[in-house]
Amino acid sequence: MRLRRQLLPLVLATLACSAGWAAPDEPLPKAEDILDKFVDATGGKAAYESVRNERWTGTFEFVGKGIKGTVTSFRAEPNKSLTIVELEGVGTIKQGTDGQTVWESSSMQGPRIKQGEERAAALREATLRAPLYWRKLYKHVETVGQETIDEQPCYKVVLTPEEGKPETQYYDKKSGLMVKMTMSVATPNGEIPSELTLSDYKEEQGLLQPHKLHQSAFGMEILITMDHADHNVDIPTDKFDVPADVKALQPKTPESK
Amino acid sequence: MLLLRLAAVVIALGMNVHGQALSDGQKKLNMESFEFIWTTVRDQYWDPTFEGLNWTAVHDELRPRMERASTMAEARHVMRQMIDRLGKSHFAIIPADVYGDLDEREESGGPATTGIDVRVLDGKAIVTSVEEGSSGTAQGVHTGWGVLSVDGVPVAPSLQRIAEVDRESTMLELHLARSVQAKLSGEAGSRPQVEFLDGAGRHVTKQMERNEPPGPTARFGYLPPMHVWFQARRVESKIGYLTFNLFLDPQRLMPAFGDALQSCADCAGVIIDLRGNPGGLGILATGMAGWFLDKPDQRLGTMHMRQGTIKFTVNPRLPTFRGAVAILVDGCSASTSEIFAEGMKDLGRGRVFGTRTAGAALPSAIDKLPNGDGFQHALADYISEGGQPLEGTGVIPNVEVKLTREALLAGRDPVLEAAIEWVHTRK
Repeated sequence: MRLRRQLLPLVLATLACSAGWAAPDEPLPKAEDILDKFVDATGGKAAYESVRNERWTGTFEFVGKGIKGTVTSFRAEPNKSLTIVELEGVGTIKQGTDGQTVWESSSMQGPRIKQGEERAAALREATLRAPLYWRKLYKHVETVGQETIDEQPCYKVVLTPEEGKPETQYYDKKSGLMVKMTMSVATPNGEIPSELTLSDYKEEQGLLQPHKLHQSAFGMEILITMDHADHNVDIPTDKFDVPADVKALQPKTPESK
Repeated sequence: MLLLRLAAVVIALGMNVHGQALSDGQKKLNMESFEFIWTTVRDQYWDPTFEGLNWTAVHDELRPRMERASTMAEARHVMRQMIDRLGKSHFAIIPADVYGDLDEREESGGPATTGIDVRVLDGKAIVTSVEEGSSGTAQGVHTGWGVLSVDGVPVAPSLQRIAEVDRESTMLELHLARSVQAKLSGEAGSRPQVEFLDGAGRHVTKQMERNEPPGPTARFGYLPPMHVWFQARRVESKIGYLTFNLFLDPQRLMPAFGDALQSCADCAGVIIDLRGNPGGLGILATGMAGWFLDKPDQRLGTMHMRQGTIKFTVNPRLPTFRGAVAILVDGCSASTSEIFAEGMKDLGRGRVFGTRTAGAALPSAIDKLPNGDGFQHALADYISEGGQPLEGTGVIPNVEVKLTREALLAGRDPVLEAAIEWVHTRK
């Protein structure tokens, strides 16, 4: 499920800002302003801060390949997550983190602990209320230009994390919504250039969220459709515990020997 | 997702070509399908030069023929001509009625079989295995018997034709075996008359019965439903033997494979028999290799696409099996089987026994065409970790061992015996 790796924070990232039109020769707005305003437009800081956890369900599809399934995702503060994908003919694929150990497990490949850039990216994605914390999550942000996407003029913002490759996000000038993101996804199989488009924004309990995420990489396309999201739900405290087979992969500490 | 070599199996076993004239609507859908195939290859084929082939010229040459096609058979023939020009495996048209036939009998999932498996040895179709409890067993069919005819249709002429057409191809053994297997397969409950040459050289005719293949039905994308089975046993007290027919149905296959290894943790070695296995999900090759490798960042090989590369990196799994690993292959081992066998060989973690594999190892996907047919198309070239492409070459075993009619008649399996002998030397 490499191709889903970058999707999770974006589901909650409800992007909208009231940035006005900028003529081509006008100076570009600061990335900081675009990112801050987008929080206000998607519900505001107070609305984000009221979210302590989140559960959403949806569908997952390899477009045009006849491979479909369901997604159930949980996240909780500060950066815990668990995503379960059930695909017909493939089985269950899980990925999650307790905020420290980042893991993935499937019948195909078995359990695996993510390291390095892959781990760092997963922790950024797992961060609840991530739109509020871009200053913590990225060491540098910059508006680098304008681009038209689906006939809509957009600002192009490059965000550079402390660890990992820069990501490029595109914000619709008019609506302020993020409509596209490009990134290089670090995986054990190598770097995978990936493009994500976000659409069908709808309000879920005070926050505007994209309900269609369309990701493409190496000619393969994945469509994730969010059916429903709930905030501040009853999630068992052990939901984000690292599974036993993943724990077995962790190096033994003197205490655990 | 990598679909390997399966479409051809489906076609060989279940193709049902119609000769009816097409409506204008069907012709339009066929034209759209033709363009879909051409465009997909133009945009996704890993070598943008098509190895010197003028892909636009292929389109311009064949499009008028497509416009003239008046039956589905003709239309599919033109589409196959187009993809055949690439000269690569894993390009196929899967007729829509294959899906229809199989969907109606989803519980069965595929053509029924007589329970006997066949290879063509020295030009003769020879029974290489008889499934326990099958019609073959009930009728007393023995390994080593020759298959002469099915329902009065002799097998030799088609074998001769295939041998002439494919004489230079690494897929010869695969095509020969499938030619016979297709004749032996059919509807469940049907009763073909099969003429054999028994061990004493006598012609023996048996009334066989076709039954559903073993194993539960698995579905994946636009592949028709297929039965997947897995077997594990010990061939000696300290040597395990694992075999399965497809790299599919991971939620059942992979735990079964892992459990079998764990129950053989005290074994000096395991033998993984991939003879006749046409492949499946490529990712399962790395998934299985994970039980034999304990160091991270080891690869079976690399997929090369136009847009970039994907490494087939192995994820080590616990508990690591540390005994000897022998892998059995033959000319009917293809795709994921080849990726696994050659990768394990390249990493020095497996020793391969048998005969050269089919050399059909391109990662592929299946799309649904506008006319309802499936279109399997290779997505990438594949280079094994040792630097060798498998396409058109196949896996060359470390130890070449051939089956013979005499050995099979004697109830022996020389390939398995060689692997067992090698494990003994590793103790």
